[in-house]
Amino acid sequence: MAKGLVLVVDDESPIRDILSFYLKRAGYQVLTAANGLEALAEMGRSRPDLIISDLRMPEMPGDELCKRVKSDPATRDIYFIILSALDGTASRIGGLALGADDMIPKPFHAQEVLAKVDSTFRLIEMQKEIKRQNKELTTFQQRVQEEMELAAALQMGLLPKLPGEVTGARYTHRYLPAAGIGGDIYAVVQLPGGCTGMMIADVSGHGVTAALISAMVKTSFENQVRLGGGPLDWAEGMNEDLCRSTLAEQFATAWLGRLDPLTNRLRYVVAGHCAPFRIVGGSRGGLQRSEVLRGKGFMLGLDPQLPFSEHESEFLPGDRLVLYTDGLVEVEREDRSMLEEAGLRRICAELPAGAEESADVVIAQTRAFNSPVPFVDDVTLVVLDRME
Amino acid sequence: MLNIQTRQEGTASVVSIQGKVNFEVTAQLRDVIRETVATVQPKLLTINLEGVSFIDSSGLGLLVAARNSVDKSGGKLHLCCLPATVKKTFDQTNLTNYFSIFATEQDALRGS
Repeated sequence: MAKGLVLVVDDESPIRDILSFYLKRAGYQVLTAANGLEALAEMGRSRPDLIISDLRMPEMPGDELCKRVKSDPATRDIYFIILSALDGTASRIGGLALGADDMIPKPFHAQEVLAKVDSTFRLIEMQKEIKRQNKELTTFQQRVQEEMELAAALQMGLLPKLPGEVTGARYTHRYLPAAGIGGDIYAVVQLPGGCTGMMIADVSGHGVTAALISAMVKTSFENQVRLGGGPLDWAEGMNEDLCRSTLAEQFATAWLGRLDPLTNRLRYVVAGHCAPFRIVGGSRGGLQRSEVLRGKGFMLGLDPQLPFSEHESEFLPGDRLVLYTDGLVEVEREDRSMLEEAGLRRICAELPAGAEESADVVIAQTRAFNSPVPFVDDVTLVVLDRME
Repeated sequence: MLNIQTRQEGTASVVSIQGKVNFEVTAQLRDVIRETVATVQPKLLTINLEGVSFIDSSGLGLLVAARNSVDKSGGKLHLCCLPATVKKTFDQTNLTNYFSIFATEQDALRGS
């Protein structure tokens, strides 16, 4: 099989003949031309992989030919070796400055030319391979990108539809995943008797794995809620689910709550998650008293034996609940400080009436605090207003 | 970039970590811990967190996994020298009660 096509350009026919002979014997296909114009005419018929050209020729000298080949996008990639009697560094640099890829000084040994041609073809092959791989990689990347976008859209579909409404309460969310797709999830579920079940969770890590587990967390929560019981039962059930189905380093922090509008009580479990805020009368807007719904508990998915504990708080008509994930408060500013719970609590204590407006203010103010540092982790904020 | 140093103290291995332990560097730390547990099979693995300025959920996950893998091979994992910020994260996630935590490295090496 022919190794490749070489165009030999020289006005001296003995030189063309010698090079042709050696190159053909080595398995190359060879075209010849006596000057630049002839070479261009040859190139109009077939495209060589490599041109070996003399410098001094009538009609069109080698430097002009080189310039034309290298300035035309269609032929720019053809390797160009200048064959020149002008030995010495000066002419070598001159030739390379024309855009030639290499030079061979005259007089030459045919073996030397052949060795150079062989090495050039190795380079050409490598470049072709790199181009091919590059194309493959780009195609692959595009596919991954498209799949990620699809997954992100699906994940958005796992979140409650807005505007959110359950008996006696309205809620909204702001969901800002760090990498298009993230490990945060929340759910608000209508329970029998006008009660509301709530869950917010943050799965360790980022990206696709975290997103898959977040979907699992949501399903697990919904299954637990369907079984009845309260946050403590849900936490224990979800912990077992997660221990069974996740790998060693994967777990979720979560907050689970159940609001009973008849007793005005909110029962909840903190499973290693940021404690939410109760803003007393917060749905009316303005500066209001706030409480942190604290509690201690292990993350879900650590160990099936670990105990959880349930807490209780009053939650009256007109009260507001703010749930969030740590990405909202754990952005390290340039001065190394972070908003943290205390900072967010200050922001949440004075918000407008209306969950939508309030969510916008919270995001705007946390952004303003962190600026110019962007959010680096998944961020989820849920504002739930109990109607009066 | 995380700076991790390991050394042997009798039958105990000590891993000292400096820097921010987050998603980007957990792979690096995971390799060191895995290799230490696999090659030395220490009776006691002490992780010194003195130089850690921040730890996120992936970092916590890694430590939990480390505890479980050391448990399985019949050893113990002790943590020591938690800076205030790290301590806070441990408190919030209740991991303070999941790990054996010591104030100093000597205590961690002595403690059982």
